[in-house]
Order: sequence, then C-alpha cells, then structure tokens
Amino acid sequence: MHQPRLLIAMQPLLEVTDVSKQFRRETDIATRVVAAITGAQKTEVVHAVEKVSLTVDRGEVLGLVGESGCGKSTLGRIMAGLLAPSSGRVRFEGVDLHSGSRSRPSVDLKIQMIFQDPFASLNPRMRIGDIVGEAALVHGLVDRADHSDFVDRMLIRVGLDPNCKRRYPHQFSGGQRQRIGIARALAVEPRLLICDEAVSALDVSIRAQVLNLFSELRESLGLTYVFISHDLSVVEHISDRVAVMYLGRIVELARAEAFFQQPNHPYARALLEEVPRLESRRARYHPIVGEIPSPIAPPAGCHFHPRCPNAGPRCRVEAPVLREIAPARWSACHLNDG
Amino acid sequence: MTGAPLLEVEELNTWFFGRQGIAKAVNGVSFTLNEGEILGVAGESGSGKSVTGLSMLGLIDPPGRVVSGRVLYRGQDLLGMPAEQLRRLRGNRISMIFQDPMMTLNPVLRIDTQMIEALSAHRSLSRGEGRRAALDALDRVGIPAPEQRLSNYPHQLSGGMRQRVAIAIALLNRPDIVIADEPTTALDVTIQAQILHEMRNLCRDSGAALLWITHDLAVLAGLADRIAVMYAGRIVETGPVDAILRRPLHPYTTGLIESLPRRGQRGRRLTQIPGMAPSLSEIPPGCPFMPRCSRAIEHCRSEIGISTPEPNRTLRCINPVC
Repeated sequence: MHQPRLLIAMQPLLEVTDVSKQFRRETDIATRVVAAITGAQKTEVVHAVEKVSLTVDRGEVLGLVGESGCGKSTLGRIMAGLLAPSSGRVRFEGVDLHSGSRSRPSVDLKIQMIFQDPFASLNPRMRIGDIVGEAALVHGLVDRADHSDFVDRMLIRVGLDPNCKRRYPHQFSGGQRQRIGIARALAVEPRLLICDEAVSALDVSIRAQVLNLFSELRESLGLTYVFISHDLSVVEHISDRVAVMYLGRIVELARAEAFFQQPNHPYARALLEEVPRLESRRARYHPIVGEIPSPIAPPAGCHFHPRCPNAGPRCRVEAPVLREIAPARWSACHLNDG
Repeated sequence: MTGAPLLEVEELNTWFFGRQGIAKAVNGVSFTLNEGEILGVAGESGSGKSVTGLSMLGLIDPPGRVVSGRVLYRGQDLLGMPAEQLRRLRGNRISMIFQDPMMTLNPVLRIDTQMIEALSAHRSLSRGEGRRAALDALDRVGIPAPEQRLSNYPHQLSGGMRQRVAIAIALLNRPDIVIADEPTTALDVTIQAQILHEMRNLCRDSGAALLWITHDLAVLAGLADRIAVMYAGRIVETGPVDAILRRPLHPYTTGLIESLPRRGQRGRRLTQIPGMAPSLSEIPPGCPFMPRCSRAIEHCRSEIGISTPEPNRTLRCINPVC
C-alpha cells in the first residue's frame, strides 16, 4: 500500500468509525432451560459504546472524559486494539486494527496502553529491568548484547535510577510504578499512548510529576495521546481536544479552550460546574439530580433527558446526533436546533 | 467562639509496631473542633489523616496503638474511657463515615434492619417508630423512594446510594460530631457534588460538627470552615479555609496547592514537589518535609515547635513562605 506522502500527513493517526460494543451476560444452563420452557427471551445486553466516531490527529492529546460506566475505558481498549468492537472500524494510519488480514505486531506495537492501577499492571514476580525490556527483546527491536544499556536508557528517560533494575515492583512507590509502566510502554517505540486513568491513583504531588513527564515525552518523542480520565481538571491541563461521553455515546467533542470556556451540551455543562476547584470557594452547588441510568436499559431518546434541566418532548423520543454546531465543535443536543 | 471547644485533641501519638520498626503514623497531633464547625483534614497517602480519625474513636487494632495523647469530648477523655462508655458515645454522639460504605453496611441485612438496629442500640423505641425515623433519615439525605429502599439489601443499591445510606445511619442519632474519612473519593463527580451539597446543609441544620478527611484540597475549598494540613504524621499548618488556600505559609501546603492543575493554565508545566514522602518508620529528625523543601535551612534539622503566626492559625515551620 503506497500512498503519496502528502496524503499520509493529512490522514489522522487513528480513525474510529461508527464503533459500537455490546456485552452480553453469559447465561448459565439453568437460565437457558427456564427460558426454553417458558419461552422467555431475556439476555441482558450492556451497550457500552454506541456508534462512536472520532479521529485522533498526529501529535495531539485527545482527552476522553465521563463518569463511571460511560464506556470510556471500553472505547480506549477498542482504540488500543485490545478489544474487538461489535460493529464499526478502527484504523491506525489507514490499517484496520480489527481485520484479520493485517500483520499484527507492526501496528500493535505502535499503540501502547498505560493503566490506572500501577499495582495490578506489573507482574510482581518479574524484575523491573525485565518488565521494561522484555517486549523490545521479543520483537527484535534490540539485540541481547545491547539489552542492558537499552533498559538503562528507558529507565533514565522516565526519571528512574537504572541501578534499581534488579528490583521487584513491590519495592517501588505508586508514582515510581507508574513510571515503570510508562517506560515499558515506550520501550517498543509507540506512536500513540492510550492512558486510562493513568494518574488517578496517584497522590497530588506525585501526580504533578507524572503529568509533567507526559508533557516532556510528548515534546521529545512526538507522541500522540488519548488521555482517558474522570478528572476534568487533569484533562483540561493536558488536552488539545476533549470528547465527553455519557452512557456509551459521545455528547460533545471540541477544542479544549473553547470547551472549558463554554461547554455546549447540558451534561458537559453540569459536569464542569460540579468539579470542585480551589477557586470556586464556597460555591453554591446546584447538583444535577438523579443517578446515571443503567447501561442495560438506557433511557430512550437522548440518554441524558431524565436528568436534563432543559429536556423537551423531542428529547424523550429522538436520539440527537453528534453534529458540528460551530467550527471544530460537535455536540449532540436537540436544543441546538432552536 | 464561646466557651471550650467541642472536641480537643492534644498531642495524639498513634504508632504501629511492625517487624521493620515503629511507624509513627500519627506523631504529636493537636487540634480543636468547635460546635457546628466543618474542619477539613488534608494530606496525601501515609500522612496519618485516616489514622487520626480512627484513633479518636478507639478503632486502632494491633500492631497499632495510641501511645499517648488525649481526645477530650466535652471535657471527657475518650482515650481513657472504659470500652462500654465509649460504645455508648460511638454512633450516637460521635459517628463515622468511611470511604467504602460497605465498611458500615452489613451485606446480609436489609437497610431497615440495620437502621433500626443503629437506633435501638442507643435508645429504646418500637419497630414502628424506628422505621419512621429511618424513613425520615433516608429522605433527608436525598434518597428517592425511601420507602422501597428500606426493604432493599445493600447490593441492590448503587455506590452513591450506599454512601447516602451510610451517611443517613451516621446522622440517625443526631450526633454532635461526624468524622468522615474520604466519603466521596470513590464516587463520580456529579454524585460527589450532590453529597457535598447535602452534607453541608445537614450539618448546618442539625448543628453537628464535621471532621472531613480528604486528599483533595479542592473539595475542602467549597466545604470546610477551617483546614488542617498533615504531612508524615504531623499537622504542619491549620487555619481558616480562605487563609490556607490563598496565603499558605508552610512550604508543603504551597507545594500541594501549586501542583494542582488550574483553570486557564492549560499545558503549563505544573510545579512539582521533588522526591516523595518519607517512610513513616524512618522519619528524619527535625522537620519531616525538610529533604523535599526548597526553603530548608540548617535549623530545620532540629525539632520544630508550633507557632501562631496570626490569630486562628498555627504553623510548624521556622522559614515560612510569606
């Protein structure tokens, strides 16, 4: 596949088109027998991601925000190629991530993921030198003779002392473990890092160190990030563009400055108002009412209508589509139709 | 402020005796809590903020032990109190809310059973009266359809609802003091906002004093009257919320505030505190923050006492920021 250079430059790094993911609860044999006898057809389906389309451009940081159960982690895993979508396509530099025909490792290595829990994502029985260096060795990115120097360089790059590469993960603090996770991801020279709540488990002072590290690495290595978080202040700090998810759908997608100055979707507005901030001292809360509905039985129409202060009759029946309401600004809300 | 404070903690020391030495989780902590006041205790993991809360109610298990200090509630020392007498105060005059509501709730009992039990442990009342009081309490914390919720089991409720039930139970006996240990940390932003809002109103209405333990200064900005900042088992600074957040004096407090991402400073490098918190069993002599502090001077190696730089503020630093 030879494309002109110009076309490659204009092409987004990652392209998500109409991706949906449903999870079905496995029915045990007793349930199936009962269903066969009574004739009831009742499989519970969770619509984790519903018809999501977005692009990630080269060198940008896309923030993906939402509350628990909104599908942001599922979408992140689909983007990383770890989970196949039920329908839709994900293309990385034009190559379909989930078609069987492509040569897997070349693309898979280009997308790496960093996880929330630095305690669960490192093998406790491996030395950190092996954790960081294993993948590069297996994939032939480094030969055995240079391996030790290679691991040293990787550890120095994330601010760890190479002398500690013979230690085990339990000998490190949470912040240091997150650095190990980052070093492991960077060792295979990825282009895109998908960070799923990568700083959420860290203390404030350590979180600042890791966020700065992400920014430095972006500069020095030209990395692209998808930064998944429930913490809007962190997302505001690091992102160029922001996508807000609610119950499996993207409700708003915009440039970060514009979004944080004036969010358009009522859910995004509520979310932004309710982030506790140092400046909003003694703020009077006007919390949005109610709970996030179950993704097993999401409300009809706009998923947010039961909690929306401005919901009208149309919102209850017709699902709004995500459309461009201003340049580079997409929102899925009927209220924009006047 | 009139008269004696509702609660006075004096020189509290809670240590954990492990194989690797003694971890001084709480190391000479003193503070006061006035009637109806909301005091925020802020600190990172391992600063001793949770252990402080647990020590006050005698909830420390071996290998930990409250080594010394006093916790005076209306003049009575809770630490020297016979177990039976303390039990009568706990959950009645002083109650506690935990980060995980399943610490409070029994998974195999219905909500009404648990609530009535909490009531009848401290006063005699009929089942009907208990149910009415429980219903009332659930209604106050903003639970929709409380009548139905009463006959649910905890697993049938969402995380936010469970935490609300735990809060309702803590407030059932109209306590004077509620100790809340990170109760909204595990919750979503919109649910956290609802609970903070309700908590503040509930304390205003019932006149209960609140000790809110958290790692999140931004939560305290909208909630607390006063803040105490903890580091490595010590309170390094206390004062009114506005003073602490606008003009922090201790270099650690300054560092904490500056390491938070701010509005309108997108993409800027965050100010970071270098290094990490010391292990609690190897706290350096003198100021524990000294190895990470940019303002450290030779004198910081010696024991630092508590000073009162301004009325209503205390400080444990000899080279403060302003």
